[in-house]
Amino acid sequence: MEIPEKKIGDVDIISLSGRLDAYCANDVERKLTSLIKANQVRIVVNLEHLEYISSSGLRVLLSALKEVRKQQGDIKLACLKPYVKEVFDIAGFTKLFTILDTEKGAVDSFSGSIR
Amino acid sequence: MNVSVADILIDLIGTACVVIVFAYVVTRTRFFTAILDKQFSFKNQLILILLFGALSIFGTYGGIELPSGAIANIRDLSPMIAGLVGGPVVGLGVGLIGGIDRYFLGGLTCLPCSLSTVIAGLVGGVVYKLRKGEFVLVWQAALLAAVMESFHMGLVLLIVRPYAEALAVVEKVSLPMIGANALGIALFALIIRNLIIERRTAAEKDKYRRELERREYEMETARGIQQSFLPDSPPQVEGFELAALSLPAWEVGGDFYDFIPIPPDKWGIVIADVSGKGVPAALFMALSRTCVRANVAGNSTACEAIRRANDLITQDAESGMFVTLFYAVLDPKRKHLNYVNAGHNPPLLLQGSAGNVILLEASGIALGVMDDIELEEKELELASNDIVVLYTDGVTEAINEKEEQFGEERLTAVITQNTNLPAQELIDKIKEEVTVFAQGQPQFDDITLVILKVS
Repeated sequence: MEIPEKKIGDVDIISLSGRLDAYCANDVERKLTSLIKANQVRIVVNLEHLEYISSSGLRVLLSALKEVRKQQGDIKLACLKPYVKEVFDIAGFTKLFTILDTEKGAVDSFSGSIR
Repeated sequence: MNVSVADILIDLIGTACVVIVFAYVVTRTRFFTAILDKQFSFKNQLILILLFGALSIFGTYGGIELPSGAIANIRDLSPMIAGLVGGPVVGLGVGLIGGIDRYFLGGLTCLPCSLSTVIAGLVGGVVYKLRKGEFVLVWQAALLAAVMESFHMGLVLLIVRPYAEALAVVEKVSLPMIGANALGIALFALIIRNLIIERRTAAEKDKYRRELERREYEMETARGIQQSFLPDSPPQVEGFELAALSLPAWEVGGDFYDFIPIPPDKWGIVIADVSGKGVPAALFMALSRTCVRANVAGNSTACEAIRRANDLITQDAESGMFVTLFYAVLDPKRKHLNYVNAGHNPPLLLQGSAGNVILLEASGIALGVMDDIELEEKELELASNDIVVLYTDGVTEAINEKEEQFGEERLTAVITQNTNLPAQELIDKIKEEVTVFAQGQPQFDDITLVILKVS
């Protein structure tokens, strides 16, 4: 999967698209791991163009979330399609992740915690 | 008779071609490959010495007699290559056969020619030792032959008298002999090197194939072990029908179901889906199943049992693994179902009386995500002909060639149209519908179904 990446202030934004299943999960995991290794732990994941997410996809996001929170960072999700939102809802992951409607809102929500 | 240098060269090349055919055939014999594998048995060495000895003799007679009585030949090629392949003993053996034969042929250059043949075999053997048994490169073999033949010519000049005659012979044969021997040995070496590479590739292929077979065997065993974690058959519960099915997408999977007796007369019913697929999911499945089983019996409520199981699972849930799980306690006497839903897609309840379809939702979160979770426990009263269908998303997310999902609607439709079927047949029907729907598409996810039917 192509994973576009950009930076606003000290927040990294990656965008996922298509189907995030067992076959693409590795790509996303590698991308997130490389960010975390570089101490970039304020991450927004834009899911505007993500059509489908499987449990393998959830696992990758959860694993990264656990890691960044250990380092006082966070992963915020933006622009979820209804189907993807439902998958998060069913697994109870909406309680874990901060989910925002817009990418800007997600980036801005970090500003309170930046010192 | 007027023999030109070109005539001699052409004849020698023709002879070299015979050598190549010989080389091709001999290198395919098991004695030759045995020597390549360093199996220096007496028999292997003797056969090689005889074969290459014959070739050396052929090298003499296949050569061309010059007007002076000297023979421009490729006799030295054979002992040298034999020495390079089989070491000093084989080289010397071949050299002796070729050399002695040449000696009894007589003629002006009899002594230096027979001597140099023996030395060629020894040189090949020494190079073999220096390279610790590794066969030379093609250009190295050619260079060695060229040097050896130059030495051969030097020996003629040194030994043969009168010197003028020796010089006349050397002038005529030195170039063709150096050229033909170098060319012949290069072609021979090329054939041997190709053989070595072919054999190495074949050996590697063999290794990978065996490794693959071992893994397949391992996965097959793992699959068997995982299947043994699932109930052999659903329990007989009075007033109810139970049936279940689990099909991993790969050899092993992350889905599981369970029927756990809760003394004195209740049953715990579990369906669960571990994140991911394959071996990691299968390992986590084994952990989750055991944790759930261990906590079901001792805890009074469904909520408490799963909360405790979660605490155990979370301790071991590295790298974001988690499991979604639906757990229900069936009280057959009161026809009650108490359930919690830990992030699993809600089972369907088809009410026999009204034909309504109800989703068994309850607030909760997948297990292994965090400690001390909150789970909502709900209670449900079952009536005759009610059907509860527990499933994993492999059922509803099976896709057809247009990438459409099987979906909840199709699942609901199959169930409502087949309410009269016994539980097991209803499962078979759903499986058939999913298979037909996803015809020809690879199965992406594990598929698991549990059906509870009230008689």
